[in-house]
Amino acid sequence: MDEEPERTKRWEGGYERTWEVLKEDESGSLKATVEEILFQSKRKRVTESHGQVRLGMMRHLHLVVDCSRSMEDQDLKPNRLTASLKLIETFVEEYFDQNPISQLGIITTKNKRAEKLTDLAGNPKKHIVALKKAVDTVCLGEPSLYNSLHLAIQTLKHMPGHTSREILVILSSLTTCDPANICELIKTLKSLKVRVSVIGLSAEVRVCTVLTRETGGSYHVILDESHFKELLMLHVKPPPASSSSECSLIRMGFPQHIIASLTDQEAKPSFSMSHLDSSSGADLSLGGYFCPQCHAKYTELPVECKVCGLTLVSAPHLARSFHHLFPLQAFTESPTEQLQKDRFCQACQGELKDKSIFSCPSCCSVFCVECDLFIHDSLHCCPC
Amino acid sequence: MLELKRTLDAKGHGVLEMPSGTGKTISLLSLIVAYQKVFPLEVSKLIYCSRTVPEIEKVVEELRKLMEYYSKQTGESNNFLALALSSRKNLCIHPEVSSLRVGKEVDGKCHTLTASYIRAQRHSDPDLPVCRFYEDFDAVGRQMPLPAGVYNLDDLKDFGKRNGWCPYYLARYSLMHANIVVYSYHYLLDPKIADLVSKELTKKSVVVFDEAHNIDNVCIDSMSVNISRRTLDRCQTNVETLQNTIQKIKETDATKLKMEYRRLVEGLKEANVARETDVYLSNPVLPDEILQEAVPGTIRTAEHFVGFLKRFLEYLKSRLRVHHVVQESTPQFLKDIFDKVCIDRKPLRFCAERLRSLLRTLEIADIADFSAVTLISNFATLVSTYSQGIKTLLFSVSHFTLSPLDIYPRILDFRPVTMASFTMTLARTCLCPLIVGRGNDQVALSSKFETREDFAVIRNYGSLLQEMSAIVPDGIVAFFTSYMYMENIVAAWYEQGILENIQRNKLIFIETPDAAETSMALEKYQEACENGRGAILLSVARGKVSEGIDFVHHFGRAVIMFGVPYVYTQSRILKARLEYLRDQFQIRENDFLTFDAMRHAAQCVGRVIRGKTDYGLMIFADKRYARADKRGKLPRWIQEHISDGSLNLTVDEAVQLSKHFLRQMAQPFRQEDQLGLSLLTLEQLESEEMLKKISQIAHQT
Repeated sequence: MDEEPERTKRWEGGYERTWEVLKEDESGSLKATVEEILFQSKRKRVTESHGQVRLGMMRHLHLVVDCSRSMEDQDLKPNRLTASLKLIETFVEEYFDQNPISQLGIITTKNKRAEKLTDLAGNPKKHIVALKKAVDTVCLGEPSLYNSLHLAIQTLKHMPGHTSREILVILSSLTTCDPANICELIKTLKSLKVRVSVIGLSAEVRVCTVLTRETGGSYHVILDESHFKELLMLHVKPPPASSSSECSLIRMGFPQHIIASLTDQEAKPSFSMSHLDSSSGADLSLGGYFCPQCHAKYTELPVECKVCGLTLVSAPHLARSFHHLFPLQAFTESPTEQLQKDRFCQACQGELKDKSIFSCPSCCSVFCVECDLFIHDSLHCCPC
Repeated sequence: MLELKRTLDAKGHGVLEMPSGTGKTISLLSLIVAYQKVFPLEVSKLIYCSRTVPEIEKVVEELRKLMEYYSKQTGESNNFLALALSSRKNLCIHPEVSSLRVGKEVDGKCHTLTASYIRAQRHSDPDLPVCRFYEDFDAVGRQMPLPAGVYNLDDLKDFGKRNGWCPYYLARYSLMHANIVVYSYHYLLDPKIADLVSKELTKKSVVVFDEAHNIDNVCIDSMSVNISRRTLDRCQTNVETLQNTIQKIKETDATKLKMEYRRLVEGLKEANVARETDVYLSNPVLPDEILQEAVPGTIRTAEHFVGFLKRFLEYLKSRLRVHHVVQESTPQFLKDIFDKVCIDRKPLRFCAERLRSLLRTLEIADIADFSAVTLISNFATLVSTYSQGIKTLLFSVSHFTLSPLDIYPRILDFRPVTMASFTMTLARTCLCPLIVGRGNDQVALSSKFETREDFAVIRNYGSLLQEMSAIVPDGIVAFFTSYMYMENIVAAWYEQGILENIQRNKLIFIETPDAAETSMALEKYQEACENGRGAILLSVARGKVSEGIDFVHHFGRAVIMFGVPYVYTQSRILKARLEYLRDQFQIRENDFLTFDAMRHAAQCVGRVIRGKTDYGLMIFADKRYARADKRGKLPRWIQEHISDGSLNLTVDEAVQLSKHFLRQMAQPFRQEDQLGLSLLTLEQLESEEMLKKISQIAHQT
């Protein structure tokens, strides 16, 4: 009870008309319509991403997190800031899981200023530590869209042409305090081919609509926490590479993991190169990954070699990104009544109750909508 | 469309109410034009009346699109002539005259250049200034009709410049054979102007009044005469000039006056030749029988007439000296005037006509100078002609006001064949009307007179605006009931520090009675909405903002009505009007007031939804809105969406509901989602099921 006194007092929070969620189905067409639209867009996401599109596999993403006064709003529990940071943590993990050879940086904006929380880097751990620390920041003042975008461009514009340049803004406030006209900045962003996407936490703001439309990004506003998560996860999948982006060959090293047994007398314990800069966790270890070019030792992959600058990855990493290139075909949707066989989903064995079912075009197996999403989002291959 | 067709078939009147942004203009135009094409004999002309110049332009643009579509589909160019008409001020291309700003000055100046007697004089004296555009038009323009097409004001000007013809007279002349005419209400309703411009329009016309809720006000405006002490003073000098001129003319050219005298004896029926350019002096609604009679002997000679005017003036002056409000009917007024200064009713009636004739004889060109005396003589004629229905009001503030109430119902008292109120079919509920009746501290919110000064109410209004400014994106428009009320409230908010809090979220702009300031504020407001800072516009119901300016999409995501916009009930004009309504139509004062207030509230609130993809909050912040009699008077398309759950909310509840609404609305909304619901493809439209549905809807209404 003592740890979070402000959270326990329910009467301090806003009104929650929880009973209305139950009622709205028959009274207003509102919820039904919106859910229908949401369902459609869910489906759309699956169908949209298919076909042979070239996806940008090397991404550079700047995440801009609003830390203004409005982040203290308690409509997400316990408040917007804590909830979003938690979701961003999972996003960061997922991001590096799906895009192992990409980089990410985090910027916070508050009090009319923008600050870098972490630089563009490929190590999820560092970001997550920084995010955990950021939970305690005080939210104050207004955000500045201009300043944060400007800060993001500073690093993004030096990135090579074959990688994607992206900015994802998580905006809670409905106002932005800018030092100059933002329309000019939008033009610059467009010319630099930076894709800006926005997730709004409260409502649709005009300037974001313009910003995302001009730069080719997407703009979404959350309904609740689960929807927020869904929207964030949309950005895990790499965007289609624009036809204008350059193609180039990149040198990569595939170091082998050498495990030295303790009985081996010749093995000498050594430091990992990645621990050079961080003071903590500098342990001596026996085995590790050794750079094929300069034999520097690393304990984890993927990483860029500190000594020779070679990108070090393991084969499974590349394979994981590889499925983006050959995506699973979209399942065809048909009404449940047409189904002649047993009405059971081939994957989860549950009964098919929804009004439509999905079947794989190659093996004709039948799935429910949840399994369809799961197969396309996580498995990336048909189980049957 | 069906209703409209029915109306056209029945050749009766129709009243149609449709929500804003649903394409009233285009559906009206397309049906009537189609009707015109099929039955060219039955409907020969469409007259579309709108209120302001920008609106006229909008209609013409729609029409142009329609015509382009026609010629694209049928492959042949059609021979429709459509044109817009506006005042000289907007159409003049004479370099000197058009540089003047005020409409009256332009009219006056134009008159000095083109009046028939001036032009006649020029034959003898070619040095006089001349408007060559008019001369050219007069010489050749009449023989050559305007080529078919759609002309807006600028097109007319261009055409005029190219041919060297005066666009104003060209347009007026072309009215006769144009198929579609778009112009302002005044040309049809104001008897003074209508007589000249619209007289020759045929009976087989379809007349459309857009935004017809303004009609009664336009009628009253056009027939009211306001006389203040200043007018009387100016009138005095006018009369003196008249006298001097008469003296002068008498010395030089006595025959002229004699000729005029003789003509007056013969009667007022003059040849109509020269009237075209002499618009300015046209007489007010003189019934025909007066024109048949001869001018009474007492005012036939010029000197006598001037003397007569002087007496009348003195009388008016003496009446204006009173310091309390007197309201008297016309017979009373006439009797009084007879008793005091021995002016009979009959000469009064001829006052306007006599003055006109005199001015013509004296060849006074610059009519603008004589506006005061014209006004007085118009007043005299009006007063004596309409024995009933007119109230003469004498104010302590020295204003005579005439409200010609019998004109008002004469126009509005028709029996409509169809009366239909349409609602929108929407794929999603894009409007969210909320009635906020209480503050967070349960104090009832109301702009009622007794609680106006109440700090609790003002504070709660403030907190409502503050909370809304935090959750509504981009633009908010807030309407107050009057400038006075707005000033008081804003001052109180400033003292309580509420304004400062609001400004953290959004910038604040305020509408003032000054037009230039307001348009500046509007411009900045739109800029602030555009670049993401967000803004609030504080304005007044019945003000400029509430009438003519649309807040599309992000420019208006929410409207807040602070209070019920009742008219100022102590106003004399209103009182006279109410009394008239009560006496003639058994309409209770209260009913009319509520009706009027709700009409304006709906007008204000309707500013935000300008189409199906648009969405907006509508917040009525007054507990009186929750009452059934008030709610029932809102348009049907708003009423539909007021559920019991959105009545009498507190500020907090309203905030929660709006948050929810705004999030729902921000979800992506594509055209396919509308398909089949509010947007139909051709196949869908032709399908059996849809046709059935449509006919069902048609039968219901």
